[in-house]
Amino acid sequence: MSGFFHYFSSHFESFRGEFWALFFGGIGSGIIYAMVAIGYTMVYGVLRLINFAHSEIFMIGGFSGFFVLKYGIGSSTPSGLSSVFFVILGILAGGIAGSLSAVVLERVAYRPLRKRGAPKIAYLISAIGASYFLINIAAKEFGRIGQSMVQPYTDHAVFTIFGAPIQMYTIIILIVSVLMFLALDRIVSATKLGRGIRAVAQDSETASLMGVNIDKTIAVTFLLGGFLGGVAGFLYAMNFGVLYSMGFTPALKAFTAAVLGGIGNLRGAVLGGLILGIVESLSVSFVNPAYIDVVAFAILILVLMFRPTGILGERLGRDA
Amino acid sequence: MKVRRTILKNRLNKTVAALATGALLLVAVPVAGFASAGAATKPVYVIGYEGPLTGPANQYGLNEVYGLQLAVNQWNANNLPFTLEVKQFDDQGSGTLSPAQAAAAVAVPNLVAVVGPAFSGATHAAQPTYEAAKMPIVTPSATAVGLATTGANNFFRMVYGDDVQGTADANFLLNVKKAKSITVIDDATFYGAGIAKVVADVAKKAKAKVVTTTLPQSTSCSAQASVAQFAAAATKIKNAKPDAVFYGGYACDYANLLPALSKAGYKGIVMSADGSYDAALMTQVNPVSAAKGAWLSAANCGSTGNLTGATAAAYEALSGIAPESALYDAQAYDAGNIIVAALKSIGVTALGTNTITQTRSAISAYLHANKFDGVTGKIAFQANGNLVGTGKGNIAIYQITGKDLPTKKTCY
Repeated sequence: MSGFFHYFSSHFESFRGEFWALFFGGIGSGIIYAMVAIGYTMVYGVLRLINFAHSEIFMIGGFSGFFVLKYGIGSSTPSGLSSVFFVILGILAGGIAGSLSAVVLERVAYRPLRKRGAPKIAYLISAIGASYFLINIAAKEFGRIGQSMVQPYTDHAVFTIFGAPIQMYTIIILIVSVLMFLALDRIVSATKLGRGIRAVAQDSETASLMGVNIDKTIAVTFLLGGFLGGVAGFLYAMNFGVLYSMGFTPALKAFTAAVLGGIGNLRGAVLGGLILGIVESLSVSFVNPAYIDVVAFAILILVLMFRPTGILGERLGRDA
Repeated sequence: MKVRRTILKNRLNKTVAALATGALLLVAVPVAGFASAGAATKPVYVIGYEGPLTGPANQYGLNEVYGLQLAVNQWNANNLPFTLEVKQFDDQGSGTLSPAQAAAAVAVPNLVAVVGPAFSGATHAAQPTYEAAKMPIVTPSATAVGLATTGANNFFRMVYGDDVQGTADANFLLNVKKAKSITVIDDATFYGAGIAKVVADVAKKAKAKVVTTTLPQSTSCSAQASVAQFAAAATKIKNAKPDAVFYGGYACDYANLLPALSKAGYKGIVMSADGSYDAALMTQVNPVSAAKGAWLSAANCGSTGNLTGATAAAYEALSGIAPESALYDAQAYDAGNIIVAALKSIGVTALGTNTITQTRSAISAYLHANKFDGVTGKIAFQANGNLVGTGKGNIAIYQITGKDLPTKKTCY
């Protein structure tokens, strides 16, 4: 019994010491999950489809940012304003490539099925097929070896909170994500475009009778989700480099986050992403880091057992 | 009656003998590489190479296959009584893919020996196939301890195993760097877990405080675990403040661990072994400055060094790879040479009449029974396939100082 207490008290000691560092690390990965989760949740909202090729939108965003910075920066070491410029350039490159590929994906892999009234399982197969197609094209074209990103700035700890170093990288993704989440929230809840998306999500037939252009609305949904996914890919690649298979695990986590928060629910996706990132990071204090993925998926199973519609519940078509 | 029975018996014996001879010829001619084709065409013998020729760790495979090819080219220009060919079997360094490559190799009728497999996990998985076919496998780089403890007599390696390398690494950390506490991480592969265990055991014996942990291979190494584990583990390590961290695994993930430790603010000594001595480490580590000061080891010092002089120049001309950073090029070159020495000693006549299994077994027997002078020094094998000797002075330790893989080594 005393051994048991000793185990806990010694783990609690180390937990106190590293809590904040793990917490902020978790926020960093949680934001990436959230940005990708939004893409899943939006597409699910309008099409009731899990776009499994979204992981490759993430990868394409990463590679686009990678190439733009590689040729833009070359061998120089940017600092100050030029760093800001290159980060924005990378974000735009990732976002634009992400949205374009998402729109193309919708046109090629999903719209033909929709026009023919294909069963849901056909969408799923099409999504997985598109995903494998893109992974293998990327592997062939970009090589199967990971490459590190040319750094647009010199990463360093800017300040510390409760002894935890906060990296420039964390600050950048925090700013970028908050801006994007706010903008998306406004678009979906306060613009005509957003009303269209919500209308299609709620009842696509009625929406079309009311004059909403279904094809256009779906394309816009992919465009917005693809933008966030592409930017997330770039931000992730700034830290971890690029690789043809880089999308697989983060996207699986993001899908988990979307379900955790309540699929179809934008704020749920953000909340789910953050919770997942923070909990899996903090779990390292108590279990071997190798169990980080086990913890992530155990959370999913637990939440679904007690709250099958996710933390915030499904909110298809209602205000974000 | 008795006479008739005797005649019948004699006839029967003759028929059996004729059939048997015919069968033998049928078997022997194709497998011996068209030995009976006469003086105009020499018989052809194939030496296989198995290793990663594509995939995240293909640099090892390229380093080695060119070493073998160089040896074969030189022998072919040397008026041998037979012609040699190299056939490549790409296992991507994976234990999942290697049994199929091994099966393909043993099925080649005039393939007499294999240089490789390059990786320990791949060797472990392929060995049952090779052993069943009596195929001699001479690996230039598979260092896991467990490969030489199976009792098989077809296994040979040109480098000292992880017992030697892991011990040298641990002693370097304990005695040279004066580390009193070490966190030992492994990547849950056959190779990584093996060398990490050696380091941990030696350090524990020396009364150092040892914490072991496993971070399984991530998506960067074409496996499943997420790269997020490195940042979390690094935070924990930073907090525990061990004097040193040893990583048993490959470059594709060492490239994730180094920046994670640097970002977490860990200031101690970080070291990995030959699995991470790969040019890909320096292209993947992000930013490169995160690798500065980190240590690496490899079993290529002293009598098991790299190619030098004219051989190195010929190697570079053939491969386009700088020989000083081409880990295990010399070992592959020597592996090719000793296989050819075995073929020469068996002789073209015996080769022509042997079955392929007999030839393969004869090569193994020859490698066990003889000593060789290679570019890597004196080569002789123990019964288990390990090199003879303690390996002292054969382990190179490198420190990363710039943007490229370090080539300046100290031998331990």
